[in-house]
Amino acid sequence: MRKSQRRRLSAVLRYVVLSLWTLVAFFPIYWMVSTSFKPDTQWFSWPPVYFPDPPTLSNYLNVWFGAEEYTTTQYSISSQKPFISLGNSTVIASISTFLAVLFGSVIAYGVSRYRILSEVRMFQLLMLRMIPPIVVVAPLSLYYSAIGLLDTMTGLIMIYFITSLPYAVWMMKSFIDEVPREIEQAAEILGASRWRTVFEIVLPLVRSGLVATFLFILILTWSEYLLALIITKTQVSTLPIELSKYQGSTEGRVYGRQAALAVGITIPLMIAGLIIRKHLARGFSFGMVRR
Amino acid sequence: MSVAAVPAAQVQALPSTRELSRRRAITRFRWSILGPLIALLVFVLMPVLFLQLYFSLHQWTVYLGTWWDAEYVGLELFQEVLTDPRFGWAVVRSLSFATGSTIGCFLIGFALAYLMYKPFRGQAFYYIIFILPMLTVPVVVAYTAEMMLYQSGPLNDLITRIIGIEFKPAWLTNPHIALPTVMLLEIWNWAPFSFIIMLAGLTAIPKEPIEAAEILGASKWRIFWEVQLPLLRPVIFLALVLRFLEAMAEFPKTWALLQGGPGTATETLPVYIFLTTWQYFQISKGAAMSYIVMLLMVVIVLFAIRLLRREKRSLDTMYAKAAARPQELA
Repeated sequence: MRKSQRRRLSAVLRYVVLSLWTLVAFFPIYWMVSTSFKPDTQWFSWPPVYFPDPPTLSNYLNVWFGAEEYTTTQYSISSQKPFISLGNSTVIASISTFLAVLFGSVIAYGVSRYRILSEVRMFQLLMLRMIPPIVVVAPLSLYYSAIGLLDTMTGLIMIYFITSLPYAVWMMKSFIDEVPREIEQAAEILGASRWRTVFEIVLPLVRSGLVATFLFILILTWSEYLLALIITKTQVSTLPIELSKYQGSTEGRVYGRQAALAVGITIPLMIAGLIIRKHLARGFSFGMVRR
Repeated sequence: MSVAAVPAAQVQALPSTRELSRRRAITRFRWSILGPLIALLVFVLMPVLFLQLYFSLHQWTVYLGTWWDAEYVGLELFQEVLTDPRFGWAVVRSLSFATGSTIGCFLIGFALAYLMYKPFRGQAFYYIIFILPMLTVPVVVAYTAEMMLYQSGPLNDLITRIIGIEFKPAWLTNPHIALPTVMLLEIWNWAPFSFIIMLAGLTAIPKEPIEAAEILGASKWRIFWEVQLPLLRPVIFLALVLRFLEAMAEFPKTWALLQGGPGTATETLPVYIFLTTWQYFQISKGAAMSYIVMLLMVVIVLFAIRLLRREKRSLDTMYAKAAARPQELA
């Protein structure tokens, strides 16, 4: 009796703690979403408005479509081009991620089966990413301007490819390690080259792993800020950079507009993250979690 | 583990000429993979590192004409940086920011993971909610924080309503609490990371040693400290090391939210380097600073690699030991 009571108590306690953190984790997201639906008088009113009243789409229409007629006051942003940034972001993130996953999985195969990189090298590869990018952005931008890659999508794709390669290799290796070798050995006896084995046998077997790795890296590239800030100027712009342009504008605090843009940036990320939620641990565990 | 075992078995079975050509093929395969990787590092990273070294030894700013005939000043810039108290403070801020947020993320992540690793009703729901903060863009986090944290903003209002006393800290404009505020944001943003790895780690622990310890009457507390925690050590190190390194490099939130202000209250190393290079246009000083930071980080990273490798190696032995452990516990 006492034991069952204690168990019930601890179960209740668990729900209380978890629900508290649910509030902490969710409230800022709720605030962003609700602000994006608020008319401009409620963006920073006192007392704060918790539920948009009445909810309005004007922020979205203004930010994404530049619709001036929905603006009730002077808050309007002159240089609306989020769809161009959306396009840039999509192209840059998906191409660099695709390349990283492609090369990463071939390297991962080599590491998994032929140990082409020793364990130390693998960790060094990972740590290459852990050096703060700020220490190389200045020379990188000069180097890029010298070879004509500054303010181009190619430049960003290249640097994102390099920075996400370590994650791609590590994550794909964890998937490829789980594929039984017998099939490959059969292929080898039948005379298939290693390249053919990779592309026609191993990678199709880890399809879901490829998708997970792709989305995982896409999340990282999509939200990258510093490199994009330095490398993009006028021709190319990614969504996080576009959002930061709303900051410190002379037109006052435009929270609703910022929120509307922020929601648009975040939604694809959340969808991607929720699709691969079961695989997120793998992206981060670097061989330290046994399965 | 069986990587070595499989070819070794074939060595004896196959004729040596065939084995030789196989080995040659593997070497070819190896270099056709590593070749492009090395070329990439040589063509992108080497010039960048070289330029960085060049600028840290030559005095140049954008006003001083072409960069390639900048004046050679030896180690003067390094001296300037190392005697710059602002740089010293930036180092202190970065280290304390990284330490604080790493510990915060870890404690919260671990606590949540510990509450959730056994199946219960609503587990999937909580999991989804808890990973959401990680799936927001850092810049978005910064701007949302600004929307919430101004002095008469919703956060202060909510807390005032809940505790019933006027609660009005100036989260972003008070220089004493601006850095802790950014730290809290970092914790909010990245606690899911620690949560996810710790959850994976806890779930991956084999059940037998825990069950055995339970049967032998060990308390939950003792099981936690003597069975689960030792088995989790590699994962714990991973969570701490990666988070610390990422926090050392944190830039978007700090920059987008406060640009190092109020005053220099949130001026961490990345922010100070950014300011020096892109606002004061002291490219050379920024380069010298970057070099020092890079060396600092390389030292930390080499240490981290040793730590992680040691943990990884001890992983196997630890699992073996754990299986034998419960008997000792009783």
